[in-house]
Amino acid sequence: MEGSFGSGMILFTRPDYDPVTKYISAWSKVLIRESVEKAIECIDLFDDKANKKEFEGRVLKTNPSLVVLNGHGNNDCVTGQDQEPLVIKGQNTNILASRITYAISCDSAKGLGDEVGKYPSTAYIGYDRKFGFMYSHGFLSRPEEDPLAKPFMEFSNQVVRGLIKEHTAEECIQRAKEVGEANLRKLESSLSDPDIQMAAAFLWRDINHLVVRGDEHKKIY
Amino acid sequence: MNQKNGDKKMSDEEVRKLVLARLSVMSPDVYIAVGSDGSFSRDEMIQRVEAGDEIGREISDIQMEWLRSWKDRLVQV
Repeated sequence: MEGSFGSGMILFTRPDYDPVTKYISAWSKVLIRESVEKAIECIDLFDDKANKKEFEGRVLKTNPSLVVLNGHGNNDCVTGQDQEPLVIKGQNTNILASRITYAISCDSAKGLGDEVGKYPSTAYIGYDRKFGFMYSHGFLSRPEEDPLAKPFMEFSNQVVRGLIKEHTAEECIQRAKEVGEANLRKLESSLSDPDIQMAAAFLWRDINHLVVRGDEHKKIY
Repeated sequence: MNQKNGDKKMSDEEVRKLVLARLSVMSPDVYIAVGSDGSFSRDEMIQRVEAGDEIGREISDIQMEWLRSWKDRLVQV
């Protein structure tokens, strides 16, 4: 298999209550499948389990090396199921200390990510603007198969794939941007399609606002 | 698209018209998810851009950022 993972676990929060969370949680489901195939232990907080009590309890108990937060967010927090805040700036950010976090969530790299990144040996990867994507009608039951959303999924998932390969946080976001830009070039070769044009614009935005806060040299051990 | 005007700035109204024109030819079966703000169909996006609200401005900004990026990327080539 590609590289070694070490003894860390990955914890995923996967709320599932609206189209946005259905999509991004489905993208993480792909990652869980890949990780399990590599014998990497994953904790999957799906749907109702993506609540604050469960999240905090499982993080403290299992001490994951990587936390993947899927959910709506803002400058100060990332939420779980039904928009319940899971990690809140100024309240419980210490729960992410000494780990790598990747948040597929709007804006959280600004305030929340900055605070988390101040803990030693901690990295927070996320977006410092709104994270957006496009999707097609008819794929809500199988978002990972939606061809319009696929470039966004491959871009975002590359962050975690890189971390699993024990690249540094900074290397992972650079590689994700390369994957994103390769997909962007593919989209831009079909600019006669107005849907594709719009997708390219949103992917461009996401690529440019993927950032790391804290220890950019941190790896999963 | 000719760019004889170089760096001429577009007014907000010109930007809005451009974005609306681009949105109007999109398929009705696609949606944009703008993070925490939710998902929007083509027609909903058109309404938001016409209204000039936060979502409408965000959509316009995203479009214009990408269009402007072409200038830099073409120069690099």
